Amino acid sequence: MLDQAREVCPTTTRRMSREGALLVDVRERNEIDRLAFDVPDFVIMPMSEFERRYSELPRDRDLVMVCQIGVRSLKATYFLMYQGYTQVANMEGGIAKWVRKGFPVKVDAAATAAPAASSCCNSGSSAGSACSDTSASSATAACCGASASNSAACC
Amino acid sequence: MKEIKVLGTGCANCRATIALIEQVAQSKGVAVNMQKVEELRDIMGYGVMSTPGVVIDGKVVHAGGVPSRDKIEQWLAAGQA
Repeated sequence: MLDQAREVCPTTTRRMSREGALLVDVRERNEIDRLAFDVPDFVIMPMSEFERRYSELPRDRDLVMVCQIGVRSLKATYFLMYQGYTQVANMEGGIAKWVRKGFPVKVDAAATAAPAASSCCNSGSSAGSACSDTSASSATAACCGASASNSAACC
Repeated sequence: MKEIKVLGTGCANCRATIALIEQVAQSKGVAVNMQKVEELRDIMGYGVMSTPGVVIDGKVVHAGGVPSRDKIEQWLAAGQA
């Protein structure tokens, strides 16, 4: 039987990322197009491609697996453990929890225009402009980190 | 007796796979010991990414989708005198 997977919170993940860990996002590309982690280094490897491509991942570097809520990434974590990877952890809570923490993300304004207009970003012109600004991750985080409920609606 | 494990987190396809294997085993008169494996960690211990997975006597014989009746008959016939 496999050992219990190592689970880390978004705060630890952010620190690990700064210290050189590689984030591996296993969400599908259309999900990532809408909302992506804004970290120094990450790899997109959707679950639909994972079994075929996992060997591209380095074995000698810390890997943190991420997805929307932490379920798919846990599966990917165990798969890598099965394949002999030892420096792998799962980020519990996924990007949803990352956003709730107010950590930086990149939002595609075009892809999120419709839901944004009907949720947190039409409440005020300044918030709307911040949320719609795809280049400013801090502004995006400010919009999405305003409150937990708004985060979920917006992001 | 064949030890058969069906790997899956309880989805409809997993339940259909269990039912079909039991049905084929009964119709062929093959004694089987069926076991559901639903914990993700246990499932991944077989390296199976796509469920349902089927393990017979410790060997993964199938992963992803409900197996065909023909396929199940072949599994159950293997090793039978």
